Amino acid sequence: MESKKTGSVVVIGGGISGMLSALDLANSGFYVYLVEKGPSIGGVMAQLDKTFPTNDCAM
Amino acid sequence: MEYPQAVPLKYAINPDVCLKLTKDKCGTCEEVCPADAIDYTMTEEMLTVAAGSIILAPGFKPFDPSRFDNYQYANFPNVVTSMEFERILSATGPTMGHVTTFPKLPANPKKKKDKLLAQKRKDPKKIAWFQCVGSRDINKCDNAYCSSVCCMYAVKEAIIAKEHAGSDLDCSIFFMDMRTPGKEFEKYYENAKHKHGINFIRSRVHSVTEDPETGDLSVRYVDELGQIITETYDMIVLSVGLEISEETRDLAGKLDIDLTEGGFARTASFEPVATSRDGIYVSGVFNNPKDIPESVLDASAAASAAGDALADVRNTLTKETLPVEETNVVGDRPSIGVFICDCGSNIAGVVDCPSVTEYAANLPYVTVAEETTYACSQDAQDKMVEIIKEKGLNRIVVAACTPKTHEPLFQETLKNSGLNKYLFEMTNIRNHNSWVHKNNPDIATDKAKDLVRMAVAKAALAQPLKEEKINVNPSVMVVGGGLAGMTAARSLASQGYETHIIEKKECLGGEALKLWKTAQGEDVQKELDALIQDIASNDKIIVHTNTTLEGVDGFVGNFTSQLKTDGKTTPLEHGVAVLATGAKALEPDEYSFGRDDRIIRTLDLDKMFKESDPKLDTVKSAVFIQCVGSREPQRPYCSRVCCTHSVDNAIALKEKNPETDVFILYRDIRTYGERELLYKKAREKGVIFIRFDVENKPEVVVEKDHLKITVIDHVLNLPVTIYADLLTLAAALVPRKDERLANFFKVPLNDEGFFVEKHAKLGPAEFATDGVFIAGSAHYPKPVNEAITQGRAAASRALTLLAKKDSLFTSGNVASVDVQKCSACGVCISICPYNSPSFLAEGRFAGKADVNAVLCKGCGLCVASCRSGAIHLRGFDTNQILSQIFALDEVS
Amino acid sequence: MADDNIKIVSFLCNWCSYGAADLAGVSRMEYPADIRVIRIPCSGRMSPKFILSAFREGADAVWVSG
Repeated sequence: MESKKTGSVVVIGGGISGMLSALDLANSGFYVYLVEKGPSIGGVMAQLDKTFPTNDCAM
Repeated sequence: MEYPQAVPLKYAINPDVCLKLTKDKCGTCEEVCPADAIDYTMTEEMLTVAAGSIILAPGFKPFDPSRFDNYQYANFPNVVTSMEFERILSATGPTMGHVTTFPKLPANPKKKKDKLLAQKRKDPKKIAWFQCVGSRDINKCDNAYCSSVCCMYAVKEAIIAKEHAGSDLDCSIFFMDMRTPGKEFEKYYENAKHKHGINFIRSRVHSVTEDPETGDLSVRYVDELGQIITETYDMIVLSVGLEISEETRDLAGKLDIDLTEGGFARTASFEPVATSRDGIYVSGVFNNPKDIPESVLDASAAASAAGDALADVRNTLTKETLPVEETNVVGDRPSIGVFICDCGSNIAGVVDCPSVTEYAANLPYVTVAEETTYACSQDAQDKMVEIIKEKGLNRIVVAACTPKTHEPLFQETLKNSGLNKYLFEMTNIRNHNSWVHKNNPDIATDKAKDLVRMAVAKAALAQPLKEEKINVNPSVMVVGGGLAGMTAARSLASQGYETHIIEKKECLGGEALKLWKTAQGEDVQKELDALIQDIASNDKIIVHTNTTLEGVDGFVGNFTSQLKTDGKTTPLEHGVAVLATGAKALEPDEYSFGRDDRIIRTLDLDKMFKESDPKLDTVKSAVFIQCVGSREPQRPYCSRVCCTHSVDNAIALKEKNPETDVFILYRDIRTYGERELLYKKAREKGVIFIRFDVENKPEVVVEKDHLKITVIDHVLNLPVTIYADLLTLAAALVPRKDERLANFFKVPLNDEGFFVEKHAKLGPAEFATDGVFIAGSAHYPKPVNEAITQGRAAASRALTLLAKKDSLFTSGNVASVDVQKCSACGVCISICPYNSPSFLAEGRFAGKADVNAVLCKGCGLCVASCRSGAIHLRGFDTNQILSQIFALDEVS
Repeated sequence: MADDNIKIVSFLCNWCSYGAADLAGVSRMEYPADIRVIRIPCSGRMSPKFILSAFREGADAVWVSG
């Protein structure tokens, strides 16, 4: 049984991976629900100081 | 609020501890909030949404080491986790980036006990990192897997700690295997050793004791020579692993998806972001432990997989925002609106904002000046639109934070009120003022006035600018018909875009044609065949075999490439390009390779397995040598795939005949993630692992009956001789170093010849050149699942560009030539790094320079070098910059 | 305390030094308030004319960073 498809996607998790999935989908023509249990998005990466191997600021 | 850079930067009430919510007391926050944002009656709501696909990206939780009694994390204040140390290093963390002992005490302790401890605070002289805390450990916890990221973050923390605390800080990292198998990681590790002087000690620490007086920590361990050593450190950082939370496991249970032993979502190598349930995809650490760039690739790949499944309903639910018609302000007298942002207390706590607002109101051309609490908030934006319309403003100045993050937001507001977005100027009275002069409020206020005056002067000269529309040719060229290239092509074709695959060989498949099975045991040839069939049967994909690329012209959206097939050259027009040219195995020039047919490379062994070569049945003793050509001065990178591949083949030999003696001679075993389970399995099956140093490589002597291999055993510290009848060399994967291709698309290669992506962390599947994407081992050596992930990710990134078909615009801040003044000297043409200016070929001004706005990046190099003053940089024109200089001092 | 009479005009490249000055703020560093920043799209945009004009307008120093 093939039911009608829905052009929207639910993304669970507002860390770096969830945010970028949501952005790619939204920019390519899908409606996105980004679900995050905490009060802010950004996840762990936003709490890091610097990132290897370039020592760039994580923000 | 979790930390100062949280987005949105808004406080939230924790309902578990709020007195108002739990006991109906307090209520202070409602009284003091100037924005009336507190509403205690908001409760949890249950929402039901319909969706075509689900992507799970729940992330991980850092391992909690409290239960390890030997490291005493719960009891010793100077034992911290790596995540805590990350916050200690952060300028916005609890110690403002200052590395200190007793870091978890409050800055100004109130409790007596804390006060006493705080007196013992000192700058540490010696810090140790303990690796694999909560990873690769089934004795104290159940995490048999490797967390993949800890080795690198420990090295990074040690380097940064030395930066913060001075180079005489002694940093030691205690590890089992150093796992730095990512792009540019090995060099980072080598620099840590040799440039930064960080000590690497191969040992798992037995126990830690504390000096209760000073808080110093004494560490006991056994060094590589078997001696027991006791050493004192000021601080210990536990490199905690990544774990899947109970909550995520519950979620997986509810969604009915399969998990692996370690609690990660189970995925297949050829569909690396699809869970066991149709329509549910996974990305990030929940899809096996991984670092940021791989999480980013997963993110785009999951988007691509979720999108492919819904290709026929794309654009059915998205909403179009109708553009507001632009008011023509050319020739009108400037009427400037100035908005001064308090940024809560960030600015207003230092700068006298009402005084700056009053001052701004009296500047030339200023019609209205307003102070606002948070200029970026939705209500302030709406009000701004209202004021612009009401007062008929035609230039806007916002004095707030940095334009680097907030300019686009305000420009959007201008568009919504019918103004061209370039009639805007932003000045930074927070980052460049209130935050850096917090102890001099008067001077900061004066400086804010100066900055506002300069911005107003510049804004008065702002002109509406036009953004050139870029048409995007809805077709794709993929260079390379291997796994990554084919995956990208299949995804883009399924979204309806014509895709051309350029393959120089006579058939598709690339290096994967030589592989036997994946790390998860899938038959590569079977899956590869299916993929090739998919490609062949897709009428949106045109495969050009025996074809090479001879030239590329054009820019994003409009490339023309010259394809050469059988000596004939034909042009191909395409909007975007994906480079997936792969890598190949090195021809080793050591260990007697090529002198005896019992000495082979990993892929040759795969071939024997694939073809069930009877020679394999006669093997009684097999040896693998790792890092052949990798992690050497001439090739200072780790080839990433070889450890797992050799371990996997060693297991296969043992399974074929348990009596076979199998040895793996290695430098560090780098079976990252759940590949670690293969390493464990190999040891259980009796594969013998012998570590060697790069200074003391194994020696191979070809003899008639056998190969004689001698290696210094690291436990015995004595030479060991193995008589083998099969020697497999784990040869490095080397890039094609295709400088011609790199030049065609103006994309960079690194020293080793791998393509350099746009951003090491956040742009791993695209180039800095717009419209050009990267996938597969041409970026860095990678196994099947990662090549496919990157192929999908490149497709997803390309799709976001293709989907913009009518709405891709250049920036308005570009150079333009005043042909009347141009002397046709050609300096701009020779100086431009982007080949943007050229001489007009025809028309009235033939021979004069002209700037292609699409190629121009707006750097202004040509403007500064034009001796006739004929080039203008829109938005940063000479008169605008001069106006700021002239406004430096108040006109008295 | 900064001397009222000192004025340093700094031309900062949008892509690096301007961001660095932002970061100095984020990191809550402190420095004298004598600097007036002019954001330019790239240090390649700098023209000697800007430096001379700044001095003519009474700048004590000009700082170009990119």
